[in-house]
Amino acid sequence: MGAAVTYTESELVLGLKARNEKHFGYLYDHYSPALYGIALKVVNDETVAGDVLQEIFLKIWRGIERYDSDKGRLFTWMVNIARNTAIDTLRSKAHKMGQKASELGSNGLASDQLAIHPSVDHLGLVKVVEQLNKEQRVIIDLAYYKGCTQEEIAKILDIPLGTVKTRMRNAIIQLRNILKQM
Amino acid sequence: MRVDASRFISSGLIEAYVSGLATSNEVQELERGMTQYPEVAAAVNDCQLDMEQYVTLQSKTPPADLKHRIFHIIVNEEAARESGTLTTETDTEEFPETKVYVSSSWRWIAAAAILLLLGSLLLNYVFFGQINDYKGRYEALLSTQNTLASESNLYKTRVEQMEHSMDLVKDPSMKTVKMPGTKPFPSALATVYWNQQSKEVFVMVNNLPEPAADKQYQLWAIVDGKPVDMGVFEMGDHHELLQKMRSIDNAEMFAITLEKKGGSAVPTLDQMYVAGKAS
Repeated sequence: MGAAVTYTESELVLGLKARNEKHFGYLYDHYSPALYGIALKVVNDETVAGDVLQEIFLKIWRGIERYDSDKGRLFTWMVNIARNTAIDTLRSKAHKMGQKASELGSNGLASDQLAIHPSVDHLGLVKVVEQLNKEQRVIIDLAYYKGCTQEEIAKILDIPLGTVKTRMRNAIIQLRNILKQM
Repeated sequence: MRVDASRFISSGLIEAYVSGLATSNEVQELERGMTQYPEVAAAVNDCQLDMEQYVTLQSKTPPADLKHRIFHIIVNEEAARESGTLTTETDTEEFPETKVYVSSSWRWIAAAAILLLLGSLLLNYVFFGQINDYKGRYEALLSTQNTLASESNLYKTRVEQMEHSMDLVKDPSMKTVKMPGTKPFPSALATVYWNQQSKEVFVMVNNLPEPAADKQYQLWAIVDGKPVDMGVFEMGDHHELLQKMRSIDNAEMFAITLEKKGGSAVPTLDQMYVAGKAS
């Protein structure tokens, strides 16, 4: 596949809607690491994450007609498909809230990822991990990667339900501040 | 307007929405705000971009063979779509998976049931064959048994007849009259057993030729030079050694002639086979 070729997002979307396999190859090459990263973080298992990634790309390929560029960017649309697919897999695999919590706690998430897979971006991630406190990191990951509801998070973190949204807001503001410094 | 927009921005709803924490009511509320206030839409978009940056920081290259696997599937799907054989998978995506799981267990049960049925049919066939075999053997044994029983009865009868004959012969009052063959029939021989007390007369054929179908042998007693009819007898039944004839008080001789069936009043002398003196 032409490595030198680059597409704008609208070109890419047009090519995908025309069922052009070259465009799909380009899409895969550029976005599969990010989407695989999501799947892996959600399911915590490389084999399952591989199956999930396959399902994600098949959903993208089969559902591209339904993508509306007026409603959001292509990447946002794909990230949502990836999260929903991975979280559905996780939920059908282990529906116990406790298990999700223990997975999060024991793996320490990002540091584990770093240790096994150093990447170009790992310095940025180290910075994020260093500067977000543990509760802020965990609350974002529980909601974003594990699909936990406010009630579940309140139980897991043992905080009042009414404070979940406020804490989430603070965590994300802190995250965005760190990202802006990079 | 601005106050409402800033209320959205400071409420934490945007962060909840971007992180996936928002309830469906909250999502609807924010999406209304996004169409109403461009500031809200922009704030959501900014937050989303930062979140996506955080996601991208955690990218990881997937296993190399995965791309090939996925392309294999979509290339096949496209080929099927062009030939019109692809079923609308996108619409029914959610259901077939569970259906397949359910039906697969039923498929195993059905397969097991069919196997059991086939096995049962086979055993039926085998056992039916064996039953037929045993039935045949049983019938063969039964007929053999019947044959043996009737033969045994036959022998029993013969033995009884012989015992009866022996008893008669063993009687001390029984007189034996040997009748050798006459000149025309030298090899012929018969014997009369004559009980001197009861006056009963029995005849035993030692050697007489089988008569023609319309002829019968007839026994005669000679009393005072005249023949007295003692009755006809059958040659057919050889088992009875002694055949009972008419009784007679006294006689000088006994003789056997071949006569027409039923016997004659007067003996045909040239057909006299045997004759013997009684005293």
